[in-house]
Amino acid sequence: MSVAQRHKAETREIAEPLCRLEDLVDGRSRGFDPLGEGRDTMFVVRRGAAVHAWRNHCPHYDRARMAWKKDEFLDPSGERIMCFAHGALFDIASGECVLGPCLGQSLTPVEIELRDGLVRVRGKYAPGFRR
Amino acid sequence: MRIIGPDELIFGVDDLDACRAFLVDYGLDEVDRTEGGASYHALDGTGITIRKRSDPSLPRPLPTASMLRKTIYGVEDQETLEEIAAELGKDRDIIREADGSLSCRDDLDFALGFRVTTRRKLDLPAEMINSPGAKPGRPANVLGANQDAEAKPRTLSHIVYFVPDMERLTKFYIERLKFVITDKFTNTGPFLRPQSNFDHHVLFMIQTPAYMQGLEHLAFHMQGPTELMLAGSRMVKKGYESFWGPGRHKFGSNWFWYFNSPLGTHVEYDADMDLHDGAWTERETPMSAEAAQLFLFENVEKWAPGGPPPGKQG
Ligand code: FES
Ligand SMILES: [Fe+2]
Repeated sequence: MSVAQRHKAETREIAEPLCRLEDLVDGRSRGFDPLGEGRDTMFVVRRGAAVHAWRNHCPHYDRARMAWKKDEFLDPSGERIMCFAHGALFDIASGECVLGPCLGQSLTPVEIELRDGLVRVRGKYAPGFRR
Repeated sequence: MRIIGPDELIFGVDDLDACRAFLVDYGLDEVDRTEGGASYHALDGTGITIRKRSDPSLPRPLPTASMLRKTIYGVEDQETLEEIAAELGKDRDIIREADGSLSCRDDLDFALGFRVTTRRKLDLPAEMINSPGAKPGRPANVLGANQDAEAKPRTLSHIVYFVPDMERLTKFYIERLKFVITDKFTNTGPFLRPQSNFDHHVLFMIQTPAYMQGLEHLAFHMQGPTELMLAGSRMVKKGYESFWGPGRHKFGSNWFWYFNSPLGTHVEYDADMDLHDGAWTERETPMSAEAAQLFLFENVEKWAPGGPPPGKQG
């Protein structure tokens, strides 16, 4: 994908499902790039039948990316979402920062829908790339 | 006071394996590995030590998310160490460790250590470039673009703290440890260097609320911009998260590339930092994106003109 194309990413509905529920490992996180921006701009955490979806933006810095490696958004215990920029910890279900530089602030949710074993983004999805 | 700069940073972490994988891929050499952790060295022997968070030998943690447990500065000789002990001993407890080093806390409770430096003197070539009008940096038939070149961090360069009281901590490092301000972002913080180091900064501070106190980033010096780009590109290829860069800072002039890390701090590659001595007069400017970087590239997938036409592949 060229740079020109990437910067054309526009807010739109995502027709394709993100993945199948069964593709998600229970207790793990996974990043997605629904607009093909060349970066994961959101991530999901599966816990049993529930899937929690958040934008890959730490509230501490403007549009800060959170993982330390592709798909790694959880702290070592797997009990919290962690921003590996400065170690902020977030509640997986509520998105609230419970320790760290953005204490009390929250992650931005992505509305998703689980239907027929598929995980889909609901409604319009905005680009997440820094520029 | 003949302090050189950070010799070693000690972290208390939960996931030793993740940290190990990251630090080795970053280019540091693993030494002294045990059940409870290991050290990771740059070419001159400066580096990072990781231990289990619960390790009782570690200084107590800050009450924040920071995993940094201690910053150990290298000094030139025993005399300097005694000078520090005498100065800081005036108003705080100084512990003399079995290895001869000193331990204490600074005025904002960061754990500090001082030791006669264990860094080795490096004797290595600079990045060689060819420039019209100048004597060639590389002789004929010596290539500049070597995909397989080693790109290893040479030495621990600098650290950046989030601090709840920048004035107070600046005063501590200047008045008690004789650091010098090279430049300053108004209301954000100063760039500091100790007296036995001409690097633009070994310590920078960012004023924040108290619940943020900790380490913003740490950085190692690379040979030059080309090695920085090589090392950073390799990290991206391995799936690590580029946070900011590559680019070049204005203050300090250093090239930079920052990565997220399982140590809960940014780990930066830097290269070609300005040197300053006593003849330098500090500059001051408000912090802004414009002031922070001379230029910035974003890492995107590789592309070449003449490749598949736009729209050909998804
Ligand atoms: S950017 Fe996430 S903790 Fe700082
Ligand atoms: Fe830096």
